[in-house]
Amino acid sequence: MTESALLADILRTARGVALAVFPLAALFAVFQALFLRLPRLEITRIAIGTLLAAVGLFLFLLGVAVGFMPFGKAIGEAVGAMPQQWLVVLFGAALGFVTTWGEPAVRVLADQVEQASAGAIRQGLVLLAMCIGVAVAVGLGMLRIAYELPLVWMLVPGYVLVIALVWMSDRGFVAIAVDSGGVATGPLANTFLLALALGASGAVAGRDPLTHGLGLVALISLAPIIALMVLGFIVRLKERSTEVGS
Amino acid sequence: MLTLLKLKLPETLKAVAPLITVITFLQFTVVGASADVFLQFLAGAALVTVGLLLLLTGIDFGILPMGRFIGGKLAEKNSIPLLLVVAFALGFATTAAEPDVLVLAGQVDEASQGALRQQPLVYLISAGVGLSVAIAFYRVVRGFSMRALLTVLLALMIVSTFAAPAGWIPLAYDAGSVTTGALTGPVVLAVALGVSAVIAGRSAVNDGFGLLGIASIGPIILILIIGVLAR
Repeated sequence: MTESALLADILRTARGVALAVFPLAALFAVFQALFLRLPRLEITRIAIGTLLAAVGLFLFLLGVAVGFMPFGKAIGEAVGAMPQQWLVVLFGAALGFVTTWGEPAVRVLADQVEQASAGAIRQGLVLLAMCIGVAVAVGLGMLRIAYELPLVWMLVPGYVLVIALVWMSDRGFVAIAVDSGGVATGPLANTFLLALALGASGAVAGRDPLTHGLGLVALISLAPIIALMVLGFIVRLKERSTEVGS
Repeated sequence: MLTLLKLKLPETLKAVAPLITVITFLQFTVVGASADVFLQFLAGAALVTVGLLLLLTGIDFGILPMGRFIGGKLAEKNSIPLLLVVAFALGFATTAAEPDVLVLAGQVDEASQGALRQQPLVYLISAGVGLSVAIAFYRVVRGFSMRALLTVLLALMIVSTFAAPAGWIPLAYDAGSVTTGALTGPVVLAVALGVSAVIAGRSAVNDGFGLLGIASIGPIILILIIGVLAR
């Protein structure tokens, strides 16, 4: 990597982080001035935390841009050259699991669920369900690309299933489940999983990457919703059977 | 804060270890990228690990409390218009600034060979998020059923999927899922938990969550509908 390319990455990432932090800081400043009037101690705490998060996000995204992007491309190229389609499915599933496992927003959500439910729904359980969900989704997404199935064939039945599960699942899991769809697609997934999908779809000449490569993100946000709602359904069934039993 | 950093260290290492292991395994089995690219990956992994540690600590230490304060105050003010305005602003501003959204919009711009421009697309997605965050907050305050709201929104989404031109479908669904990034997600989550904590009779589990999900469904429906209109 040349120095100028590195510098460009640093500047782009810094700009991105500044853009992400600015609206939050502005919102807080307006609130503080108009309504909140928090004591200085709290403001210092919030400022330090925000600064820490901003520096952390900068390093995280820089690491992704400098270190992960080129490797993501290499994975895409390797996958594109691979004759065995089932291997691609396996890779997809493995990468889907580990990227979700490392995604920051996924961890924050799982943490908040444990806190909000006062420990009734454990962080690890939410995390595991989401990772399994994404692993299955990426595997299916790779199959879809290999066999050229239309995305709609998976999305529509998937979301119809979600509507059914909304009414069948434990009420406490419904809201958490829809949130999980939003957080599963973070910077790690965007780097590795999109590169994988683009590599796999580029392998077949003449395919439009817009309709064949990118749809994977849609599946990645659908799968954890189903996984958590199924978990909620199981929890509800268990509760019902203990009620009947006692 | 130092104790919090220490507390988050094992979690951070646990979070990144599987990714690094799998990538290393892939490198030596099938990918075989050049040594340069692999070393770059390892350097990146070090940055990502330190970054994640600081990010998770900072979110716990400052960002989540900030969100909860704002949410709590919003609920106390008990003014629906104020709540809706703040919710829309929160959704719009944070999404418009999210690097993920820019990246996606850029990719679409490129893939469609300039037919769909990056900047208008960013604003479009942001407005969709702002609107859905406002609807979701309204639900928390009025306390109507999450199940009913989701059913209506998802049904609308499925119907518009059938009506939209095929090329717009992956674009719409992708636009919905890149909107909630590493900072926006925790903030929206914390504001919602703050609101639900102050309003009497709201449970954190049922009412504090769901906003991010609805914030992702909004832009999907919006872009699908635009696709229908554009055909």
